[in-house]
This record gives sequence, C-alpha cells and structure tokens, in this order.
Amino acid sequence: MGALAAVRASVRAEFTKIITMRSVWIATAVILALHLLIQRANLGSNTAAVTAITPQGTIEIFTGDPEPARGALLDLMVAGSFQMVLFLPVLAALIAGQEFRSRQLDRTLLAVPHRGRLVIAKTIAAAGFLTVVAVLIAMISIFFLYAATRAWDPGLATSADALCGQAGFLALAVLTGLVGLAFTMLGRGTLAGIGATVVLTVLTMTRLLARLSPALDAMLPLSAGRNLLLNPAQNTLSSGPAPALIVLLLWPLVTLTATGIVLYRQDAR
Amino acid sequence: MIEITGLTKGYGATVAVDDVGFTVRPGRVTGFLGPNGAGKSTTLRMLLGLDHPTSGTALIHGRRYRDLRFPLRTVGALLDGAGAVPERRAIDHLTWIAQSNRIPRGRVREVLDRVGLADAATQRAGRYSLGMTQRLGIAAALLGDPEILVLDEPVNGLDPQGIRWVRSLVREYADDGRTVLLSSHLMSETADIADDVVVIARGRIVADGTLEQVTAGHDSLESAFFELIA
Repeated sequence: MGALAAVRASVRAEFTKIITMRSVWIATAVILALHLLIQRANLGSNTAAVTAITPQGTIEIFTGDPEPARGALLDLMVAGSFQMVLFLPVLAALIAGQEFRSRQLDRTLLAVPHRGRLVIAKTIAAAGFLTVVAVLIAMISIFFLYAATRAWDPGLATSADALCGQAGFLALAVLTGLVGLAFTMLGRGTLAGIGATVVLTVLTMTRLLARLSPALDAMLPLSAGRNLLLNPAQNTLSSGPAPALIVLLLWPLVTLTATGIVLYRQDAR
Repeated sequence: MIEITGLTKGYGATVAVDDVGFTVRPGRVTGFLGPNGAGKSTTLRMLLGLDHPTSGTALIHGRRYRDLRFPLRTVGALLDGAGAVPERRAIDHLTWIAQSNRIPRGRVREVLDRVGLADAATQRAGRYSLGMTQRLGIAAALLGDPEILVLDEPVNGLDPQGIRWVRSLVREYADDGRTVLLSSHLMSETADIADDVVVIARGRIVADGTLEQVTAGHDSLESAFFELIA
C-alpha cells in the first residue's frame, strides 16, 4: 500500500478527531453567531446609507465621509469578514490542543509514527475544516450585503469583485488558522496557541509596530492580511498585496515545518 | 519478535536506561518487571518510537516502530496514562484510531464487544471509570488484530473479574503464537501469566530468562525480585 494511501488514512483520522470534539463545534457556533449578530446589528445603518446614495453614486457609510458607493460597500463586506479572521486561529488552537489533553499525542504517534506524515495530515484536515467555517462566514457577509443593497444593485453581493474579496478572506482565514495550529503544536498546548495569536493580533491592531517600522509590521500575518484585503485609499497599509501574499504563505510554511522538525527531534512527552 | 539491543536513554547527566537488551519471543508472554522509576516505561516508549534512544536499537520484526506504515496492524500497545480526550465518545476515539491505519470500521464494534464496553460505546470517555478507561485502552491495542501486544500496567484500575479477563486475553494471544510483552510491578499477577521474565532496576537489566530460571532458588517471583533489585 502506497505512501499516499497512508497520508489519506491519516487525514481522515485527523478530520474525525476534529469533528468529534464538542468544544470545536461550540467554538464554531460562537464564531458564526457573533458574525451573524454583528452583521445584523449593522444592517439597518447600512441599508439607510444605501437608500441615501446620491445620483453621483456616492455613499456616506461614515457620516461626513462620502465615497464611491460600489467600492465602499465591497470594502465594508470584506472588512466584516476580515474581523472574524481573529477568531479562526483560536479555533485551530482548540483543534491542535486536543493532542496535549489526556496524553493523546502518545496515542496519535502510536497510530502515525511518521512525524512528517502526521503534520501533513493535521494541516490538510485543519485547513479543510477552517475552509468550511470561513465559507460560512463569507456567505453570511454576502447575504447581509445583499440584504442592504438589493433595492439599489441586487447583483453587487455576488459580483466578481465581491467574490474576489471573499476569496482573499478565505485564503487569509485558512493561512492564519494554520499558524495558530502550528503555534499550539510548538507550544504543546491550546493556551500557547491562543497566546501567540493574541500577541500577533495585538501587534497588528495597536499599529504600534506599523508606526515604528512599517517594514517589520508588514511581516506580521494579520498585517499582511490587512495589506492583502483592505483598500489602501481608506486604510493605512504597510505593504502592497503581492508581498502580503508571500508573507501570508511563508508564515504557515515556516511554522508548520518547524512543528515537523520539533516533533521529529523531541520525545513525545 | 521484539529485539532490544544496547538501548540507552540519558537526560543530561542522568541515565534512565543503560545498555538494555533482551528479546521477546512469539508464543510466549514476557513479563517486564521493575520498581517505579526503574526505566520500564522509558524502554517501552523507545520501543514504540515515542522517545528517542541515546544509543541502541529496538526492533519489531527487524524494523523500527517508526518505519511501520500501518503499525497498529503489527503492534497493539497500551501505555500507562495515554487515554482518550474526555469530551470524545469512546466509539469516536476508536474510530479515528482505526481510520489512521485503514482498519475496517466494523472492527471498532468487535473490540468494544470484546472488552465489554459495547453498551457504553456512545458515552464520553470522561464519564468512564478507571476500569472502563483501561478497557478502552486495551480495545485500542486490539483494534488492528496485531501479532504483538505491548501492555504497560494493563490491570491498573481493573476489578478482579477484569484482571482475570486480561490474564486469559494475554494467555490466548500467546497460545495463538503471538508475542506479548507485559510491563508490571505486580509480582503475583506476572507470576500467574508470564512464561519469561525480564527484570530492570536503576535502568539496567538484572535478570532475563524463563520464569523458572529467574525464580530458581527462591520461594516466589516476589522474593526473587526483591533480591535482584536490592
């Protein structure tokens, strides 16, 4: 039986581990409910802003700040999805952290002693689950944009530009989620993964590093996400989308490779 | 067959396992005895690819455990303390283990039946008693119908009926021509089950032979053991 069959079996087992954890489902439900609530809360003001779009096609989402309606509404939708990216590494930390409860890692390595195969399987399974959650988040954002704009432009929410923005969000959600997974495995616990995520988030959101050194800020995963997804005309960004995508790809690649090396070299204790 | 040769494990200046070597043959139950901290678990963890030896080899049918593609079909192991995540149902715990080694799903029900947990299959592992947790661990070891069983303290937490059941299970396994390595600190249990005995103390093998050879000149395995580790 080939190595590919072994990888497929390991991925299947890892996916079963994810979907049979009650805490993973609870966290997923909380994240989706939170997104629904935020979107629902903003629906009234967004609908009012759309109703007041001028004949010149400008909108005031923020009072006193007129801007082209189409671009502004698409940015609003992507930003709505983007804020949920903060929670996906926490979900990934819960997924990976189960290995360090009741010494499950021993049982896992007895079943899949090849460390490289195990890391690949974990990555694929977690990426699959995170993709499903991210797609649901994107669908909620699309639905609420449609609800706000259907009287003005019913095709806006499903336009190529809108779907392109959500595709960027999906990539960001999965890639940053995998970084959370890697930090949890490296730190050998859910809290380590959540802690690392919080530190990276705080560094980006406080804009502290961006003020001191934009080049360094551009190397942070969430900053790279902002640089990839947000409109430079409306936001202060630390790099362009191409370097941002490279940074986003490098983070999971480097941290997951480190996870494989550490698992290979260290005892499973 | 299990062949351990010159196995050594050091943590800095401390040597936990020192040049350990022994062979576990098919068709026999080999008891692996030693006081707490003697190096039993560390030896088993190196055999099962969980810990890296500083030097030496531990081979299963001539191969390292880490090199087995679907190891659970060859080796079934119960490790002291390694259990299921409390919030996961027992049946789901065994299902992911089976999937990882392409073991048919029907086998999950079979082993649950065999260890007497069929009625508690959908309970969460956290609700299990110590004895039920131990049975679940044994079920995981039996999943791949392996030729080799490695059991670390298998009777911990079991009631007398459970202890008797483990005894008959390992006997049946060995009588079927399979290999059983049983780590324990319980002398009377080991004396009742084992054909061969390996005694480890302070990280070194102090006796290795048939039960008769090790207990020769002593009233019991227990008295032989205490003299050997003194």
